[in-house]
Amino acid sequence: MKEIIKITIALTISCLVAGLVIGTTFLFTAKAKQQNEHLNVQQTMLGLLGYGKDKPAPPALKLHSIHRYILQDAEATRMGYIVPVRRDNGEGFTLVVLDLKGRFLEQHPLELTAETALSGEDRKKALAAVVAPSMVVSFADTAIIACREGKREAYLLPGEFPGFKTFIKAMVAVNADFGMLGLEVIEHEEDPGLGGEITQDYFKNQFVGKSFETLKGLKVVKEPLPPEYERYLESLGTADGELSEQEIAEMERLYREKDIYALTGATISSAAVTNGVKAMVRKFAYRIQILDQAVATGDIPILF
Amino acid sequence: MRKKVIALTAAVVMLAVLGLTGCETGPRFIKQADFDETHGIVLTFAGPVDADWAADKANFSVNEKPDPDILLNIESVRLDPGNTRLTLTLADALNQEQPHQVVVKDIMADGKPLGSTAVTVARSYFGHLFAIFLGALLIQNFVFSKYLGLCVFFGTSQKKSTAVGMGITFTFVIVFASLMSWFLYQFVLKPYRLDHLQIIVFIGLVSLTVQAVDTILRKINPALFKAFGVYLVLVIANCIVIAVPLILADNEYNMFESLMLALGAGLGFLLALFLMSSVRERLEFANVPVSYRGLPIAFIVAGLFALSFMGFSGMSIF
Amino acid sequence: MPATTKTNFQLVVNGLLNENPIFRLALSMCPAVGISTTVANGLLLGVAVLFVQVFSSCTISLIKDYIHPRIRIPTYTLTIATWVTVIDLVLAAYLPVAYKAMGIFVRLIVAFAIITMRLEVFACRNTVTASFWDGIGMGLGFMFGMVTLGAVREVLGMGTFLGYDVIGFRPLLFFVLPAAGFFLVGFMMAVFNYVETVYHRRAKRGA
Repeated sequence: MKEIIKITIALTISCLVAGLVIGTTFLFTAKAKQQNEHLNVQQTMLGLLGYGKDKPAPPALKLHSIHRYILQDAEATRMGYIVPVRRDNGEGFTLVVLDLKGRFLEQHPLELTAETALSGEDRKKALAAVVAPSMVVSFADTAIIACREGKREAYLLPGEFPGFKTFIKAMVAVNADFGMLGLEVIEHEEDPGLGGEITQDYFKNQFVGKSFETLKGLKVVKEPLPPEYERYLESLGTADGELSEQEIAEMERLYREKDIYALTGATISSAAVTNGVKAMVRKFAYRIQILDQAVATGDIPILF
Repeated sequence: MRKKVIALTAAVVMLAVLGLTGCETGPRFIKQADFDETHGIVLTFAGPVDADWAADKANFSVNEKPDPDILLNIESVRLDPGNTRLTLTLADALNQEQPHQVVVKDIMADGKPLGSTAVTVARSYFGHLFAIFLGALLIQNFVFSKYLGLCVFFGTSQKKSTAVGMGITFTFVIVFASLMSWFLYQFVLKPYRLDHLQIIVFIGLVSLTVQAVDTILRKINPALFKAFGVYLVLVIANCIVIAVPLILADNEYNMFESLMLALGAGLGFLLALFLMSSVRERLEFANVPVSYRGLPIAFIVAGLFALSFMGFSGMSIF
Repeated sequence: MPATTKTNFQLVVNGLLNENPIFRLALSMCPAVGISTTVANGLLLGVAVLFVQVFSSCTISLIKDYIHPRIRIPTYTLTIATWVTVIDLVLAAYLPVAYKAMGIFVRLIVAFAIITMRLEVFACRNTVTASFWDGIGMGLGFMFGMVTLGAVREVLGMGTFLGYDVIGFRPLLFFVLPAAGFFLVGFMMAVFNYVETVYHRRAKRGA
């Protein structure tokens, strides 16, 4: 019996010490983790817009996020958008509620600051304060609008779609006319050497420069990638002057309207990315148009 | 005592039956809604509907469930002879991974209006569960496609009898351990934001399960314990047993999905062990170069198995 | 096994060659097959294992006199799990991209047989200093194995080394494919075996 007490005490002490060690590490790393993740996302976004180490983003560039929520109660389903707005005392956030046809219904100012709007929990709390308690609020997605001097420069769309194995997380950048600016694969679990090649420049950059019209009908072809096109794709964004301007113009003329060349041995992954990107851009293009109309009807002083 | 148990079981069964029937919301005019090929959705009505009503595309709308504001383009509506089966063809291919919602307005049958209803079209849930199970068993076999649990795999695949014993013990433990960790993760770790304790909690639960099975088996069935007891210790050294709870937590599976994944992982390990041991028993009689004897040749064989298991990848069921 | 008589240097070499965790002891094979596709992956997981091995070894040898023999294994598990959680949190916070590339393997260090085995056969019988150097040796041996495999697979499969282009084309895509890990580990083990037999034969002839 005495032994049991000894063992119990020993185990309790060990657990306490272990808990202390883990807890301390957690306290130290939690903040850094959040910050680094935020920084990473920021870098990916700026990278997609063509800014990087050697070309820092201009200070006039502003990134505004709009968060889409689905509001549901027994009677109807509505769309809610959290948008940044101009207020008397600076900047704030407003919830714009639309019906499914895209008609403007109502707007509610939200108790959110630029800091708290980043966290999903805080947004949910702010939403709960303004919508009816019977409403079920569920988060749908976020889109980022890059503005410079009051003009929209680009849209950044984070999203995920099913790949060959599991979900692929990606971010797409399109310009104000929904032409493709770039694609970044953030997370994936495709096979290395096969589907894993979707992260390579020679695949990702095939999307760059496709107009919205081309994108809508974009398909995947099972043909080998022409070597000169591959060279061009690899050089995109590196700005090392390997190709002359003439060559670049020629490549753009030849391949701008072409379909996506599938990766060798990974047609399904290639098609999954192509379809995923297509769906993301199409849905967003439809929604932002409706949101713009609604904002005009509701006379909301949006920031973007 | 026994009476009490029976009464309890009866109560549980009744509750389950009630729960199942509760899902049905009375008789509905649309009996069934399924995907048809890549572009179509088939609605089956309980009785014949009016052809004039069915001819109008405006009476139907289709959307993906998470996007209720974006209606998909319906290209044509076709009513089969007999007027009970109706096929909607859409302009673009459907993303069948997503459940779709079909809203049918002002149904007319025999000239009588029957009101509007909405139905959900989705792949069947059992199909989904079965896909998870088969995925863990074959397509994403933990040994040959995810490369986990190799130490124990190579250690216990020399003889068929050992392989089967290990596989069965492992399946048993992993199902229990996974379900317990699923409960603990969903109801304790997640609500209290203790995610970072995952590793310590899951490994603790696995050890606990192994210890419990050991003690119980020793008391209840010594014969069985004699056969399987030796493998119990090895289970802890197998990374699959800790990988499965981690995957469950990362993917936010529900209970049935978790059960299927754990079962698939366990049986997949059993299958891998059985295949491997069959080959290794024969390798005993083969003339293998000296440097390759033992583990090296076993790795090469496992590589061949892994290559052939790659053939399963991308296979989709349902 | 009584307390070791080896010098610190011998302990490190022992872990690197004689008792190399991957090629000689054949423990912790999962990461050796699963994520040795690039040098960077191998290096990072190697660092993580080195950290866990050293810290766990030191912890156990420090408290070895106070561990009740009946809860020996649970104490090991608890120690390892604690240090794995620490390195997991740190990597997730400061190297998020590389951490994501390794998937769940960092958290799976907790189930690596090599660490528990070193605690059981070495750390619980030796001084803190000896355990420290043994941990370093085992960690480095693991890292050495992972980096070698990673280098072969990356150079032959992708034509790159640490992400830099060294060949300019892809000689054998096969080596990046997941299944190639099994083949390569098998080949490497055979090479180690072959070297050992030749060495023994020479030694015999010399004598």
